[in-house]
Amino acid sequence: MSSRRSRTQSAGSSRISDDQIIELVSKLHQILPEINRSNGRRSNKTSANKVLQETCNYIRNLHREVDNLSDRLSQLLSTIDADSPEAAIIRTLI
Amino acid sequence: MNHHVPGFQEVEEDCSILDSSGFSRPKRLLPTGEEDIMELLWRNGQVVVQRSTKRGGEIEVPAEHLTVRGIRSTAEEQHLFMQEDEMASWLQYPIDDSSFDRDLYADLMYSAPPPPPPPPFQAPVTAIAPPRSVPEIRPHLAPTPPIALQAQKPEFSPRFQNFVHFSRHPCRQSIEQISKPLVTVARESTVVESNETPAVGRESRTSLVDFRTQTNTDRGTAALYAPGASAGKLAAGTYELTVSSSPGGSGSSFSASRKPHRQSRKRTPAGERKRKIREADDNECRSEENDYEEDETKRQGHLLTASSSKRSRAAEVHNLSERRRRDRINEKMKALQQLIPRCNKTDKASMLDEAIEYLKSLQLQVQMMSSMGCGMVPVMYPGMQRFMPAMGMGMGMGMGMGMGMDMGMNRPMLPYPSMQLPGSGQPNQASPAPHMGAGFHIPTFHLPPVLPVPDSSRIQAVSSMADPMLNSLVSLDPNQPRMPNFVYPYQQFPAGLQQASQLPLPQNQAAAQPNASKQTSNMENQPSAG
Repeated sequence: MSSRRSRTQSAGSSRISDDQIIELVSKLHQILPEINRSNGRRSNKTSANKVLQETCNYIRNLHREVDNLSDRLSQLLSTIDADSPEAAIIRTLI
Repeated sequence: MNHHVPGFQEVEEDCSILDSSGFSRPKRLLPTGEEDIMELLWRNGQVVVQRSTKRGGEIEVPAEHLTVRGIRSTAEEQHLFMQEDEMASWLQYPIDDSSFDRDLYADLMYSAPPPPPPPPFQAPVTAIAPPRSVPEIRPHLAPTPPIALQAQKPEFSPRFQNFVHFSRHPCRQSIEQISKPLVTVARESTVVESNETPAVGRESRTSLVDFRTQTNTDRGTAALYAPGASAGKLAAGTYELTVSSSPGGSGSSFSASRKPHRQSRKRTPAGERKRKIREADDNECRSEENDYEEDETKRQGHLLTASSSKRSRAAEVHNLSERRRRDRINEKMKALQQLIPRCNKTDKASMLDEAIEYLKSLQLQVQMMSSMGCGMVPVMYPGMQRFMPAMGMGMGMGMGMGMGMDMGMNRPMLPYPSMQLPGSGQPNQASPAPHMGAGFHIPTFHLPPVLPVPDSSRIQAVSSMADPMLNSLVSLDPNQPRMPNFVYPYQQFPAGLQQASQLPLPQNQAAAQPNASKQTSNMENQPSAG
């Protein structure tokens, strides 16, 4: 990202530094669930590309899960009387 | 490589013609156009032709005899390579050798850049394949040849011109400088290998390159000239140097110019090119003689850049790969941007920030929903406020959480009784609702926040990220009466939240402190009001 750095310097408006980005990427990396830890493989290689890819995949997975859960909750909601507090809770979730 | 072969073969023939001194004929050198690679090496002050296939037999061919002419395939040109047509015929050979290009390109930039290696170029380049004496040159040449090859026919003619000059001069020189093995050798190599002549190679190479790339007629000429002119200077030691340097120079120059060529490379049959060149050369060779001299000087300037050309090429390769890497990352950023709802940021840092928040909120949400069935634990991530479609609606949970946010810390002691407050405080909540803001909107929440005091700590855990968010959620919650319900679920909430609550505690402390007094006062009022 050297070019980015130079660009940042030249274009004073963008005060984004490479380090900042690296930090964000590592933060993101921490949030991501690292599934590949079968043999304690070292996960110290956090290439931005990989992190971004994992993030996108993870977000899609979560979306899917949310949809599933929403379906289930709505089903659950239909089973209970609509006036119960639980129903309200469920509604908030969906 | 086969192309060389023809040339070589002819060399043989020519050699025979020339060979009157009984030097080992180059015949052996060229096994008829097969994959044999003839290497022109400078050994012991002589140009030695070494055939790749038959390593066993190194044929020492005095440079003198190895005139370009010899290489010239077509029988027409007779020993004196000088004639342009001779050169032309000679030129035809190498280009078709695809293997050449491959060899050359393997190390070159071509490996990096996507464009397919110029097939046409291979012929000439590989013709001589690996003149070990000029290994560097070759790589340099490789890039150039493709470009050169790629050039369309029209380009070729001018290029060829250079080449012609190139060839012409050498031939002339060869004739004149027969004594200069380098020159002749170079010529041969150039002719055969399309620029890879050990000593002369450099020049020839450059010329070839230019020839191909059509860019530097001067260079080509210079290159050609150089051999002749500098032949004398080419000592064994410097020989390699020049060779290497020239490729560098030519290579670098080529690489620069090559790029455009590469993209549009079209493989025109080497033969075609050669032919065209030939004709063009005939006419132009003569006129360009003058240029050679000029080029020669320039050439020499280029010669010293073997390493720099290599470096530049490496830098180029590096830039390309770097660019590709960046493109990939940008692609992923765009995809991420689409995944995140309501993301209108375009710069990386803020987008990454949003991604992080969104991811956390999503995780929380999923966690909440999944535990919904088991205990109805509505834990709403405060930061999720932005991502939750129904913000102002059934945010009962949010409310509870929001309350927890502010109060969590200093309200753990608030018992349930405070829960009743929300009911009475409902009307008040409407007003505070709009004041979500940072934790300081507590005053407005005095009622709701009081409610889930015990739970707030837990809720705080959930909403550790964004207190203000919770507050807003809380205030928006019209379901005040539900608070008690939430309290219950909150209790069931896993202890994990408690941990989170620790985090916001310090933050909330400050925020909650000022409100504490207010809340207490409110609370006191509430019971009376409730």
